[in-house]
Amino acid sequence: MSRGLVALTGREILRVLKLWTQTIGAPVVSSFLFILVFGLSLGNRITSIGGFDYEVFIVPGLITMAMVQAAYANNSASVFQAKFDRYLNDILAAPMRSWEVNVGLSLGGVVRALLIGAALLVLSMLVVDVPLREPLVLLLAVALALVLFSALGVVVGIYAESWDHTAFVNNLVILPLTFLGGVFYSVDVLPSPWQELSHVNPIFYLVQAVRYGFLGTSDVSVALALGVTAALAAVCVAWSTLLFATGRRIKP
Amino acid sequence: MPVPALEIRGLTKRYDDGFLALDGFDLTVPDGAFFGLLGPNGAGKTTLISAVCNLIRITSGEALVFGEPHDSPKARRMVGLAEQDVNLDRFLDVEETLVYHGGYYGMSRRDARARAREMMEVFDLSAKADVRAPKLSGGMRRRLLLARALMHEPRLVILDEPTAGVDFELRLELWRYIRRLHAEGTTILLTTHYLEEAEELCEEIALIRGGRLLARDSADGLRQAYDAETLTDVYVKAMAA
Repeated sequence: MSRGLVALTGREILRVLKLWTQTIGAPVVSSFLFILVFGLSLGNRITSIGGFDYEVFIVPGLITMAMVQAAYANNSASVFQAKFDRYLNDILAAPMRSWEVNVGLSLGGVVRALLIGAALLVLSMLVVDVPLREPLVLLLAVALALVLFSALGVVVGIYAESWDHTAFVNNLVILPLTFLGGVFYSVDVLPSPWQELSHVNPIFYLVQAVRYGFLGTSDVSVALALGVTAALAAVCVAWSTLLFATGRRIKP
Repeated sequence: MPVPALEIRGLTKRYDDGFLALDGFDLTVPDGAFFGLLGPNGAGKTTLISAVCNLIRITSGEALVFGEPHDSPKARRMVGLAEQDVNLDRFLDVEETLVYHGGYYGMSRRDARARAREMMEVFDLSAKADVRAPKLSGGMRRRLLLARALMHEPRLVILDEPTAGVDFELRLELWRYIRRLHAEGTTILLTTHYLEEAEELCEEIALIRGGRLLARDSADGLRQAYDAETLTDVYVKAMAA
């Protein structure tokens, strides 16, 4: 790892830590409230899903949701701010290769998401008995999810021309797809055509892969869930790589 | 023949909206020179600098920094840039700004910290080491921009209107520092709107307009060539031609 990449990654992580109340604290509290409110209070009124208590069933999806949103939001905001304030020029003028700049700007979101995920996992285990049945699948699913949403955040940060653009993708694309991706329910219980439509939602596969890692069960095969997530991650990484390699949308 | 600090051949930049900012621009800046670029807004000065510093996509032509292609890591390590706009990282304090910049340019953490302390001393920023950039005064920000550009000890320092909007006292102070830097052998490329600044500092001045080089010479040479008494007269004649 070059010193430039280490410094840029360090700068991105420092930004996350300096703003920890916004970047770590707020998403952990809001996701934990989901677990408490939906799981512990409503959970008693809902019969088990797939053999698991409701409060256990929703934990993997909620952790996934918090992590991918954090990875996306962090990188889209950080890249847009750097572009908007023009301090990105200090990085572009430095003797770093384009892939190093891309990776350095991406890793802040990854670290932020991992801190949130770890905090939520610990808090969840205090109140809910969540199993960890397939840790290797969980690691792979989380890694693919973070690559996908970190790269997407960088791409959107590059294209964004205002804060509204970064928020638009989060509020009108990622959040609805996450809610409709089976975080709070099993799509098996949905009537047609909603069940079929859920299978078009890419985040559905991501939630399934992470849920399989925790619970050892999912609505689709884990290979398909990981495959779809990996394919989407590859597309986003290729997109961000192309932007940095050509300078399009980054340099006038 | 020594390798020039900067050699630009046939550089053309047409922006995506069709605006032609540089049109087959040629320029050579010798190693160790104090070189000034003068021209009105939109003449192509900042575009030229941005091209050299890898901040824009050039349409055609080439720029070599000490013989190396401008976009190579080797060339970029040799260039320090203080931009016209104050583009400081809002999340970093003064010391962090300098240390992280050093890291981007390949300095070890220890070297970057030592050099940052040195730069803060030189630019009278030590008392503000832990103050974030947005909380600094305008003059302090200008000093920090210059300190950042010099952190990695570049051989070619590009200063894009470094004294724009600063008070007279700070301008003189910055002039003193830039002169000292040049005396130590650093090549300086300076753009400015202040004609007296160009005359005071630069050994050679290039006049540019509409993305083309109109003339280049010492201040005396330009006065002679344009049959003018002052550099202001030269500027007015050159831009009106």
